[in-house]
Amino acid sequence: MSKIKGFCCNYTMSVDVDALKEGGLVPEGLEIDRLACTGRLEVPEILDAFTNGADAVFVVGCQMDKCHNLSGSYRASKRVRYAKKILKELDMDPELLEMFFADRGHSEPIVEAARLMASKTQGNSQDRDQ
Amino acid sequence: MVKGARKILVLGCRGCVAVCSAGGDKEVKILSAALKLGVKRSGGEIEIDEDTLVRQCDPEYIEPLNERAKDYDLVMSMACGVGVNFVADRCPDVNVVPALNTTFYGANLSSGEWKELCAGCGACVLHLTGGLCPVARCAKSLSNGPCGGSQGGRCEINPDVPCIWQLIYDRLSKQDRKEELKNIMPIRDWTTAGHGGPRRRVREDLLP
Repeated sequence: MSKIKGFCCNYTMSVDVDALKEGGLVPEGLEIDRLACTGRLEVPEILDAFTNGADAVFVVGCQMDKCHNLSGSYRASKRVRYAKKILKELDMDPELLEMFFADRGHSEPIVEAARLMASKTQGNSQDRDQ
Repeated sequence: MVKGARKILVLGCRGCVAVCSAGGDKEVKILSAALKLGVKRSGGEIEIDEDTLVRQCDPEYIEPLNERAKDYDLVMSMACGVGVNFVADRCPDVNVVPALNTTFYGANLSSGEWKELCAGCGACVLHLTGGLCPVARCAKSLSNGPCGGSQGGRCEINPDVPCIWQLIYDRLSKQDRKEELKNIMPIRDWTTAGHGGPRRRVREDLLP
C-alpha cells in the first residue's frame, strides 16, 4: 500500500480525511496534515515526509489569486519547486511531489490529487513492501 | 563528502551567509533534511545534529568546536570559505568540509539575485571612477577606459553585462566630471589583490 502524504491548508481541507477514506474516495495510505496556511510549509517538512516513509507528497493550497493569506499559496509553490530540485539531486523522481490549487471548501481537488499521487507510486511501494 | 560518516554536525553561520539565504539556520535545516533523505535512500544510517554559530570568522565562536566536535565524524560548515578555513586553522582534530561553494562577495539586487560589486583588491580607485569599480565589474579589470569589446554599452562576454567603463563615462559626464577621466591611472600594483600572496591586515589600535 502506497503511503501518500498531503499538506493542505485550513481553507482547502474542509472534510475529515477519515470520512473520505470510509467513503472509499481516497487511498487507504493517505495521511493529511492540515496547516493554518500552506505558506507556513517549509522545505525540510516536505523532505522529512519522504524520509518518514511517504512514497509521494502533495500540497494543496488556495487558488493562487484567492489565497486567504494573499501569498501563502505562492510561497508554498516556490518551496515545492525548490524541494523538487533537491529530490532530483537525490536521484528521486521530482514528480512524486506536486502542488495543487483548490477552491475554498471543495474536497474534490484533494481527492483527485491523492488519487493522482497514488497512481504515480505504483511500483515504488511494492518494492518497499517486499 | 559525507560518505562513511555516521555522525555529522551541520554548522551554519549567522553572518553574511544567513543574510544571503545560503548558510543560516533555515539552510542548515534544509541541508540536514536533504542529507537524511539521501542517506536513507542509499540504505545507510546517519545521525545529524544542527547548529548555527553567531559567526564562523571569530575565534571565540570557533574554538569551542575543539571539544564539541570530538563526537562527530564530520563537521559540514555552511559558512563561506573563510569559516571553513578558520575551523581548519583553529581546530586541528576537526574534520571540516564545505557545504557551500563560495562564489563572490556582492550586493542583493532583489530577493534571490546577487551581483559582484567589489573584489577587495586593496587598492581602491572608486573615488576616481564615480563609485563604480572597474576591477570587479570589468571582465578585464581595465584601469583606463573600455576595450574594443564594449559595444552599445554592453560587454562582449555577455550582452547582459553592462560595460562598466561606459557606465563610468555616463555617470561622470552627468556629474560634469568627464574631464577627470583624462587623468591616466598608473600601471596597477596587483600585490594587494592577492597576487602578492595571502593578505593580512593588522590594526595596532585594536590589538590586545
